[in-house]
Parts: sequence; structure tokens; C-alpha cells
Amino acid sequence: MQIREYLLRRLMIFPLIIVGTSIIVFGLSRVGGNPVAIYLEHEMSPAEVAELEERYGLDEPLPLQYLAWARGVLTGDMGWSGVSAQPVTEALVNRMGATLELAIFSAIVAISLGIGLGTFGGARRNRWPDHLTRVFSISGASMPIFWFAILLLILFWVNLGWFSTGRSEPTIFSSIAHPTGVYTFDALLAGNFRALLDALHHLVLPAATLGFGATAIIARMMRSSLVEELSEDYVDAARAKGLPERLVLRRHARRNALIPTVTVIGLGFGFLLQGTVVVEIIFRWPGLGRWMADAVLRGDQATIMAYVLFTSVLFLTVNLVVDIMYAYLDRRVVLGA
Amino acid sequence: MVDVLAPETATVRVDGPWTVRLRRLADVSKQVLSNPTTLVGLVIIIALLSLTVLAPVLTEPNFPNPYQMPRDWGVRDAPPGTPGHILGTTSTGGDVFYGVVWGARTSLRLSLIVVGVTVTVGTIVGSLAGFIGGKLDEILMRTVDVLLAIPELIFALAIAAVLGPSFGNIIFALSVVFWVKYARIIRGQIIHVKQNEYVDAARITGDSKLNIYRRDVLPNSVTPVMVQATLDMGGIVLTAATLSFIGLAEAGLVEWGVLVSDGQAGISAGKWWASTFPGLMVFLWALAFNLVGDGMRDVLDPRTEGR
Amino acid sequence: MTVRAQTSQQQATTPLVASVRDLRVHFEAKAGRVQAVDGVSFEIRDGETLGLVGETGCGKSVTARSFIRLVPTPPGIYAGGEIDFWSTEARRTGGDPVDLLEIPHDDMLAIRGDRIAMIFQDPGKALNPALSIRSQMAEVFYQHRSEEILMAMGPDVPRIVRRAARQRTTGLERILLKVPPWRAKAAELRRRVDDLVSQALTETQIANPRKIMDSYPHELSGGMKQRVLIAQALACNPDLLIADEPTTALDVTIQARILELIAELQERLETSVLYISHDLSLVKEICNRVAVMYAGRIVETGTTEEIFSNPAHPYTRGLMAAVPSATHQRGKLAAIEGTVPELIDPPPSCRFNTRCPYAVDICRTTDPTDVDLGETHRVACFIYETSLDSAVRPSRERKTS
Repeated sequence: MQIREYLLRRLMIFPLIIVGTSIIVFGLSRVGGNPVAIYLEHEMSPAEVAELEERYGLDEPLPLQYLAWARGVLTGDMGWSGVSAQPVTEALVNRMGATLELAIFSAIVAISLGIGLGTFGGARRNRWPDHLTRVFSISGASMPIFWFAILLLILFWVNLGWFSTGRSEPTIFSSIAHPTGVYTFDALLAGNFRALLDALHHLVLPAATLGFGATAIIARMMRSSLVEELSEDYVDAARAKGLPERLVLRRHARRNALIPTVTVIGLGFGFLLQGTVVVEIIFRWPGLGRWMADAVLRGDQATIMAYVLFTSVLFLTVNLVVDIMYAYLDRRVVLGA
Repeated sequence: MVDVLAPETATVRVDGPWTVRLRRLADVSKQVLSNPTTLVGLVIIIALLSLTVLAPVLTEPNFPNPYQMPRDWGVRDAPPGTPGHILGTTSTGGDVFYGVVWGARTSLRLSLIVVGVTVTVGTIVGSLAGFIGGKLDEILMRTVDVLLAIPELIFALAIAAVLGPSFGNIIFALSVVFWVKYARIIRGQIIHVKQNEYVDAARITGDSKLNIYRRDVLPNSVTPVMVQATLDMGGIVLTAATLSFIGLAEAGLVEWGVLVSDGQAGISAGKWWASTFPGLMVFLWALAFNLVGDGMRDVLDPRTEGR
Repeated sequence: MTVRAQTSQQQATTPLVASVRDLRVHFEAKAGRVQAVDGVSFEIRDGETLGLVGETGCGKSVTARSFIRLVPTPPGIYAGGEIDFWSTEARRTGGDPVDLLEIPHDDMLAIRGDRIAMIFQDPGKALNPALSIRSQMAEVFYQHRSEEILMAMGPDVPRIVRRAARQRTTGLERILLKVPPWRAKAAELRRRVDDLVSQALTETQIANPRKIMDSYPHELSGGMKQRVLIAQALACNPDLLIADEPTTALDVTIQARILELIAELQERLETSVLYISHDLSLVKEICNRVAVMYAGRIVETGTTEEIFSNPAHPYTRGLMAAVPSATHQRGKLAAIEGTVPELIDPPPSCRFNTRCPYAVDICRTTDPTDVDLGETHRVACFIYETSLDSAVRPSRERKTS
């Protein structure tokens, strides 16, 4: 009962928060000087711009302006992206695949490594493996991503020559079709093993860089919730049955410790999204983050607004899904304990 | 069934006037410092702070503006160990050591300003929401929810970008983004204190709201705010460095993110030093405050740490 | 439910199940070593129920947990003594006991849940909330009865199913077990285990075991959860059952039924029971013998009758006065004044001296030794040390203040 009410409330607030976010984004565009920027459809002449101002009622009160803009966003009209010389929506769709691919692979790294490290430390509380994972976690949270990326490049690209920047070898890239924009997936679809390897090869460094910080977040949470679970009576009860420690940990404590850890996956995802901006600059990754960075430097407001709105909605959605998952996973929520 | 012989457990109330709080703070600090990793963090913080104090002694301040990188066009791309440029120079003849040292001052200034502003704003907003309650609380808290919906760095990036590239705007953008957590802490504390019966007792004895606030709410909020502020001292410098790395600060500013960005072009040619040292400073700064903040949280909020 | 009267003659000849000798369990704390269990000795005889009574924190739970080495180390330290244990095997053949504190970890795993089982205080917490009753109970059979089950399944059991029965499968293997050709045998294994689980639940008078098996802990009442835990503990017909305050967390009405159940099963299965409680009225009802514990030491042992009709130690007498009766209402009990001493590096002394109305100098400076009051009745108190000079000896006639 409680759980249903909670989820219902959560679902009702969700669109409100999205509307709020869009108001903030809209407000930002009004702070930044040229409000017409977010409506441009391509490189326009002054006469055409004047016509636009007329059309979107930029002399009207702000709430009406907001509604006009919001209607545009809902129908996929987010203006003209100066940095990629095409409509914002089109550029967004084109570049989404690259960023999604990076985020997914980093998330895989972060979740598996984070859970593994957290278990490793939590099961050996206050002994040196635990202290080591703690230092690792705090280092991950303190690591400037841009610097870590550069260090990896200095080592693996400049000195060892094992990896390079970019997303793929141009010749291999053009050898297959790209229906999804997620390169590894495209390579699988085309059944091209060489293309798959190339894609994975290029993913290693950026995904490792990006995954590091998120790994730390997840490991920290996993560690503390495992410590908490291990102090529960049912763990001793499992030991009293004669189960070996391996099973006590794997079947009992770790499984339950994963439940609260799910909640930080949302947080970790936010961390990944932020990180893409810097990682994509340094590894010359043609995704949304680099698009945003270019737009920031060139003052391309339409692109900035679209990016912030898109990222926030994505971030919120992931968190909503995480919350729903958590509510269903944790049977104790049902108990109300 | 009752434990007939259970010893009388005297409940000691720690909530009290400032003096009691302070005494408790002393106890807590002792506990905090017994953790070796926290101690390491503290040592790094002290080293970094001495760097800010000793900056004019270690290097000749650039005239007229010490926060503008001095250029020695004759010695470009010099490796570490070059006489006069112990950590080498950048491609534009900037001294990396100068940047490392004076960058600490930039960071200290930046983090103190932002923490000061955000703690103040957060306290005011949180107090209004918690004490007045009702509609105002609902509006303020929904606003907070919305602000938290945009990932921190991206929000700050958008604000700074819209305002135009300058370090002042970075400070402003960070202030807009970072106050939210403090408002939540303070509001949560007020709601909590409101529910405790000793505030009712205070009300009955005719204490004013302001008195309750001063005596019960603020002292109880000090520790969580302090933990958050310590963590933010590191987080702010980290975020600011990221923004200036992307290119939102003025060129030539002595700031670690700017320096890493300047050095980035040289790494493919093997010139690793111009990026590595300033980046290391950002890492150390953030690491130190995170270690201490984390250690404080372990002691002050045992819930997050298990037993 | 009456005390099964056993004469002292019978007592002495009944073989031992366990013998605890000078057990010491300490805890490393910042302020020093907490001597939670400080030289405890007692025996458990075959088929009897021994009550271990004392206040919260007196070390009775730590003593109980030491039997299966469940005290977390660190911070705990098994600082000395031994716990000798005779399994049915050993008793029948007259073999040597094993020292539970010394045997290798793997041997201990084989004993836990099979020869020595434990019921915990709060049934709500002792079951894993995320696993069904079926899978939690099945673990016991997989752990201790896998070879028997495999034997019953015949010779043509695939290796992977054998591994499953021994709980050694990896994630991939668990998927393989769901597909032919292994599916059939894996299903048979599950069916056999399910039957065992169902049978064990029936033992504890659970009416619809198949339905209970499929539920999760939060779907069951507290009493039902404790029944499940009892069924799980007795599943392998253990030699010794340790019940750590099994009714404390339950409603009063359910308490009585759970107690009856334990007593009845014990009688039928001839299991020895170590019954931990702070509640003398419960102990009186179901125990043959009682050991009273205070601040890490046993202060008095005897048959239930001896303890209740003739309590010797001032502490035991204090406890008796605190037991609710017709004239005293619950909650208005005469409590013993004073507090339990700190157990960090305590000096030699009777631990009860700070609260004892008869304490004299010797009680504060010397450890008391056991005095035999009868064949089965022992007390650690200077009052009964008749060899001592009466000038230094405390006396029940002479209250000090």
C-alpha cells in the first residue's frame, strides 16, 4: 500500500519537475542577452530574424514567450545549432549514439568494478583491503577527470602507443553502415568483427576514465551497505546453519546490500553525464558532451539550452527508474520497517 | 518480558547551549583525528594552506597582478629541472611552479567565497522554509528539487556560459549551484527540532521563535553543515577547475584548470609537465578536503558508516 | 509442562553432551579488554534442558555463541578454556569429545546446523527478508544432507547436478540446470529437498507447509517465523539445540505455544537444549537444571528445584524477589539496587560485590571459588566458604550498607 502511494506521488511530481527544469532553462536563455537565438532555424539574415521576433512574440510578456517556446520543444523544434550548422534536434539525434555508447560502457565498468570493490572492502571491514578501497573511493571522487584523462593519454598514447584518441579508424568506420549510431552495436549488426574490435579498442580509455569516478561512488555505497547487512541477525543465522562464508556473503549479505546500492546508480549516472563533457573534449569523441563544450565556447545558446534540457530529463528519468526499482526490490519497504 | 535488573541508563542530552556543543566538538575532533586517513588529509590541507601563505616568498609575485601568469618568452617548453623553472615552463613561457603556487591562492579565495555565500544563502532559505512552513516551504522545496534535477557541473557550465567567460562568472555560477544542499540540511534540522518536545517546552516557558532558533536549531545544524562545507571546499575547486579547463576563465589567469588546459596541446609532443603538475594540485586539494570531510561524517553521522 | 524430575543419581550417570570448562571470551575495546565471559564452567547432559539465566549483558549470549564460534573475532577473542562436545556417535561408542574452540573451521561448519543448531532471539531478524522460506530452509539440507540425497537419487546423477546439491554451482551452471538434459535431474533434486523442507515444517505443526514454503518472511507472523526457525534448527536432528531467548520478541500468548512446541519436540527428538533467558518464570517451566550467570561468571548451578526452593547466592535470591508472582504485579518488581560493574580489566573480586547487601572486604579483593552445597548444587560465594574465619566471612545474618 505504502509503496504504491509513494510511487504514485513520485510519478505525479516527475512532470512538474521537468516543467520546472524547462523554466530554468528558458530563464537562462533570457539572461544571456539574445533571446532570439533559441529560435533560429539556420543562418538567418537580419530581416528574417526580425520576422522571427515577431512570430514568437518576443515583445509579449515572458510567460507567453515561455509557452511558445515550450510548444516548440514538444514538437521537436529547438532552434538552430550554430556549432554543428544544422537544426538542434537533428544534431542531438546524430550525436546521441556516441555519448550513449560511452555512458553505457562506463556504467558497465563502474557497476561491476564498484560492486566488486565494495564487497571486497566491506567483507574485510577495518582491515587493510578495506582501507585501500576507501582510499581508492575517495581518490575517485577527488580525481579531476580532465587530468586523469590526460595522464592516461600521456601513458597509453604518447609513451606506450597502445591506444589513440577518436572513436574509430576512419577507414573501418566507413566500411559498415551506422543505423543506430552506437558503433559497437552497428558493428554487431553488420557482423563485422574487425569493426567491433576497433570500436571497443577506442572505448577503453574514455570508458575507464569516465568509469573511475562512478566506480568510487558505487564502491563506497556497496561497502557501507554490506557492512550494515553483515551485522544483521540473518547473517549469523545463515552461519549457524553451517553455510561456508562464501555462501553467507554471496547468497545472503551481498544480495541484500545490492538493494540500497541501486539508489546510487542514479547519482553515478549523473556523474557520468557530467564527465562526458570533459572526456569527449580530451579523447575527441564526437558526442553530445563535446557538442556542448563547443557551444559553450562559441556562445551557441540554442545548443546549450537543448543540451541542458536533454541531460536533465535523462538524469531525472534514470533516477525515477532507479527509485521504482528500489521500491520493488526492497521487501522491507513493503513492511514499512 | 522486562529486564528486571537492567541498569539505569541515564540519557545525556547533548542538545544544549553553545558551550556544551563546543565541548562536544572538542571530543569529536579527537575522535576524527584518530583516523589515519583523516590525519593524512589534514596534513595535506595544512601544506596547501602554507603554500598560499608562503606564495610571495617562494616566487616573485607578478607585477601588477600576481594572478596573471608571468611570461618568459625566451624559455618556452623547458622541462622540469631547468634553472629558474623548477617544474618547467609552458609553451607560452609561463612558469609551471609559479602557477602551482599561486594557483593555491586562487583556489583558497574561490572556495572561501563560494562556501561563504552558499552557506549564508542556504541557511536563510532553509530557515524560511522550515520555520514559516506551509506554502512557502512547499514552493522553496520544489524549487530545490528542480535545481537538483540538473547535474551540478552542467548547470554551472550553462550559467557561466550564458554569462560569458570570466572567473567571476564561474564563482557566481558555483554559488548558484552549491547552496541547495545547505538549505536542505537546515530545513531538515528545523523540522526535526520542531518535532522534539523540548521545543514545546521552550514554547510553554514563553521563548520566542528567534530564541528557539538560536539555541536549538543553529547549534544542532553546525555539524552537518560543517561536514558539507568541508566536502564542498574540495568539490568547488574541482568543479571550478573543470569549468576553466573547458575554457570559461580568462586566458592567462593563474588557476590550475587553466594551466592544465594550456599544457594539453603539448602532451602529444611529450611535454607532460605543464598539465601534470597543476592537475596534481587540483587532485590533492580535492582529496585532502574529501578525506577530512569523510572522516568527520564517519564520526558525526554513524548511520552512513554502519557500526 | 512440568519439570521432569530427575534424581541426582540419574543425573550423575547420564552421559554428557557438552562440557564447558573455564571459558573466557574477551572483547578488545578502546578502553581495554572487556572480559565478557570470564571463566565459565558447566555441563549439559544428554536429553536435559539447561537454563542459562542472567541479565542483559551478563555474557550468556556470548557463551552460547561460543559453542558454534559465532562471536565475531575481532573484536572478540577466545581467551581460554574449552568446550568439549560429544556427538551421538561419540556417546554411543564412548569416543573422545571434540573441543569446539579448537577444531578446524571446516569441521565446525559440519557441526553448525547439523549437530548443534541455534534459534535466535528475534525471528523477524533471523530470516533473510529477500529469500523465500523454501530456499532458506533448503540450504540446511543442501549443506548437511547432500550426499544422502544424491545416494537416494541413484548412480546416474550428472556431475553438474551433484555440484548443485553441494551448493557449488556458478551463475552459468545455474542456467544450464534449467535446460535439458540436466533439467529433469535438477528438478528431482529440488523435489526431494522440497519434500524434506515440507516434512520439517510439518514437524513444527505448521498446517500448510507447501504454502508457507513459498512465502517470504514479511508475509508471516512472528510466531510463524519462529516455528519456521525451529523447524530449520531441528531439521537435521541435532544433538544440542541452543535457544537464545526464543520467545522474548513474541507476544505473550504466542510465547507459551512456542515453549510447548520446543519442549515437545525436545522430548520426541531427545535433543539436549541450552536455553538462554533472563526470565526466571520461563526457565522454571521448561528446564531441568539452571545455571545463573552474573557479569561474565556462573554464580550458581543446580537442579531447577534446588535453585527455586533453595537459592543460595545473594544474586539468585535477588532475582527470585524480582520474579512476578500473584502478589507482585508486573512492572512493580523489587529490583536489586546498584549497577553491573564495568568488565574492563576487573580486579580479582566477586563481581556482585557492588550490589550485594552482605559484601565484606574479602568479596572486593578475592575471586570466590565454587562451593558444593549438594551433589548437583554449586555456588560461588564466600558466605558458604566454611573454611574461612567467620570474622572475614560475609554472613546472611549481617547486612552491610
